[in-house]
Amino acid sequence: MNILTQFAETVTDAPKGDIFTTLGIDWQTLVLQIVAFLLLVWLLKKLVYPILIKSVDKRQEDIESASKLADEARKQADDTKNQIDKLLRDAKAQANDVVQTAKQEATAAIELAESKAKKHAESIIESAHTQLERDVIAAKKSLRNETIELVALATEKIVKNKIDRKADENLISSAIKDAS
Amino acid sequence: MNNLFAALDLHISIASEEMFKILGFPITNAMVTGVLGTAITVWILAYVSISVKKGKYNRFVGLIQWVFEGLLNSIKDVIPNRELARKITPLAVTMFFFVLINYWLSVIPGLDTIRINGVPLLRSLASDLPFTLSLAIITVVAVQIYAIKHLGVFGNIGRYLRNPFKDPLGAFEGALDIIGEVSRGTSLALRLFGNAFAGEVLLIVIAVLTGFFATIALPIFMAFELLIGFIQAYVFFILTVIFTALAQENHTKDTHDSSEHSPAVTPKAIKQLE
Repeated sequence: MNILTQFAETVTDAPKGDIFTTLGIDWQTLVLQIVAFLLLVWLLKKLVYPILIKSVDKRQEDIESASKLADEARKQADDTKNQIDKLLRDAKAQANDVVQTAKQEATAAIELAESKAKKHAESIIESAHTQLERDVIAAKKSLRNETIELVALATEKIVKNKIDRKADENLISSAIKDAS
Repeated sequence: MNNLFAALDLHISIASEEMFKILGFPITNAMVTGVLGTAITVWILAYVSISVKKGKYNRFVGLIQWVFEGLLNSIKDVIPNRELARKITPLAVTMFFFVLINYWLSVIPGLDTIRINGVPLLRSLASDLPFTLSLAIITVVAVQIYAIKHLGVFGNIGRYLRNPFKDPLGAFEGALDIIGEVSRGTSLALRLFGNAFAGEVLLIVIAVLTGFFATIALPIFMAFELLIGFIQAYVFFILTVIFTALAQENHTKDTHDSSEHSPAVTPKAIKQLE
């Protein structure tokens, strides 16, 4: 006899009768179990579930409110970040303006200084030119006087004689004649 | 081998067995275990609710609360109508916890070994067909009550009985719906009974076949049974909720021609669960 046959033999111990009796379905038992279960449901509905449902509702409300607060905090953080970004942008723009203005002012100052220096240099050069011309004239004058003296001395030495007024006039006249 | 089994006196009975009578009413071993299961269910839920009320939380309270919240969310997903969802909650949630605990009672040691007058003392209520049948009857009746509340008596009858001369296809569909209601109840009862009974038989047979090695082999099958118990309890719970939603679904289909109120209840989902 194999295992299955053994089990089959054991199952035949089940009560004999109609299908309901075999399956253990008794209408009295069925009604009793239905009533008992409904009583249990009623009892739990009255005493247990309201507390549990309330706690679940409260927890969900807490979660929702916490979620809302988190959303608000996130929104505030975003707003603050936007404000900071805006302030940074403004500050950068202002700094750029300041730098630009400073550059322009510096350029203007440099140009002014350059033009002043140029004018000053030109005036120095002009005065130097004037002084040089004066010095040249003075030098020329001095040279001329010295040349005349040297010519006179040389002439005196060459002529060796003191020429009087009359002789000078004669010489000049003869020279003019020669020249003409 | 035959002698070995004979010595072990393998005892398998489809029906629960009478242990004694009270006022002429037969008390079966499944009923005795059922009383234990009821006491455990009431104790657990009462303990959790009292702890929650007093604000005394521990891991066990947190676990039960988590499960309870999960069940509520499942109901809410299937039945978006908050009022209806709250009405069906006590019945559906009680079914879940009651079926789960009674199913798990088949795993406790002593199954088929503790006997009084040759009758095993422990037999899970979930493996007692009258009990699963009574749960199925409660579900089917509850669904009809909620359907009548939403559609009215004649509206609900109109779901099943239509004029075959005006709407022959609808009349056929109505007849199929009547068969469907009966088959839903029957399948609810037989599914739970079949799983629980087969689980108990499996544990007994494994214990007999493995002999002394049962201490190693049984825990594996016990863990498997715990998992199956949870699945069966959840399936019973969710099908109760879905059948209730379907009654409302028929109503909304007629009035709004839209299934937006019960997006989770689809024929495919029901087929998968069944």
